[in-house]
Amino acid sequence: MKIKKLLFVTKFEDLCYDALNALLDLRKADLEHVIFLNVIERDKVAMKRGSGYLKEEEVKLKETANIRFIDWAESLFEMGMEVGAYIEVSNLIPEILKVVEKEHPDLVVVGRSHKGALEQLYSRSDLTELTRRIQVPTLVFKHMLEDNLLLEKIFDRPLLATSWSASSQAAVDSLKGLGRVIGQLHVMHVVNDNDLKSKDSHEVQNVRKFERKRLDALCDIFEQQGIDTRPHVYVGDPEKEILKAAREYQASMIILGSSERNAILERWMGSISRNIADKSIYPCLLFPVKK
Amino acid sequence: MNKKVLVVDDDSDVRSFVVTVLEENGYIPLQACDGVEGLEKIQQEKPDLVILDVLMPRGSGIRLYRQLKTHEALKALPVIMFTGIAMRSFLKSQKALEAFNGGEIPKPDIYLEKPVEPEELARAIDTKIG
Repeated sequence: MKIKKLLFVTKFEDLCYDALNALLDLRKADLEHVIFLNVIERDKVAMKRGSGYLKEEEVKLKETANIRFIDWAESLFEMGMEVGAYIEVSNLIPEILKVVEKEHPDLVVVGRSHKGALEQLYSRSDLTELTRRIQVPTLVFKHMLEDNLLLEKIFDRPLLATSWSASSQAAVDSLKGLGRVIGQLHVMHVVNDNDLKSKDSHEVQNVRKFERKRLDALCDIFEQQGIDTRPHVYVGDPEKEILKAAREYQASMIILGSSERNAILERWMGSISRNIADKSIYPCLLFPVKK
Repeated sequence: MNKKVLVVDDDSDVRSFVVTVLEENGYIPLQACDGVEGLEKIQQEKPDLVILDVLMPRGSGIRLYRQLKTHEALKALPVIMFTGIAMRSFLKSQKALEAFNGGEIPKPDIYLEKPVEPEELARAIDTKIG
């Protein structure tokens, strides 16, 4: 799969031009078209007692967004790229899905969810809602500056955490086309310690050897595409171990397949990929489960 | 016979503004809200002039402009660019695309940066097809 068209969803407070700029390395591969989307949440302009629908506020918010998009679009047009923009008063997730249906992007970029833990448990985060419903790879962008890490070219040193699922395979297929963009790729698999038949060192080493061979085969696939790739096997709690590996190898982002759990199970037990995307400091690229 | 003018813009307020100017000056207005619909309307309705925005969903004005100017039957159709994108950026984009795709494209007949007064828009239209 090639990333030719990117949908960049912004509220301006979360994602700005610097985030977009960090993605423009994708032009070295196939990126040629960027669509901007700003959704003005309905409650910002909704009917208020005594003042009715805030039409003037809607016009002001739309114009403010339009001015930002014109500024960004000028830079992209000057590079010879194709640019489009949507500014809509609506609800965030349905509007993203609507634009995805119209534009057929290859990648959707969104900011981090800002709902609190309790709110997320009962209402789901925007991100959980989105990644459950979307059929397009979704990059959850983070400003690593918040955590004293420098924002850089985020495809420079990605960490692919594979669970050998169909969505992990989709990630592999997609990354193969990014040979000119990726500096060094780290691939890892976490053996969940709950899945080990016994905890003796022979069993652990056996499992490690088996998984390492599978990772080596994966490295061969990437290296055939000219991507320098390093394999890593970890044992333990997958969420913790993926974050540990990201720190150890100074990953510029984490790439994961989405959870295949159903909605109810996921609400109470969580999903490794969405938890990492929602809570970690790393940008996360999530590949959907094909329906 | 009154001449037909197609306005291609995703902003309904802008389309209303242009349509009012066109009607007040005796032209027949046609409307499209993005580059894809714009090209369809041009082929179906054969307007005498196109007023074209740049930043739009489903095909920008830059793409549509290049489609028109490289199309044998449509390249003579006059175009007024009417947009918030600065002319300097538009021209740079054309240069970048020329370097990439080859083939020099002529500059737009008239380039108006939003906002403009109704009189200025009417004058520009009259200059081309009045």
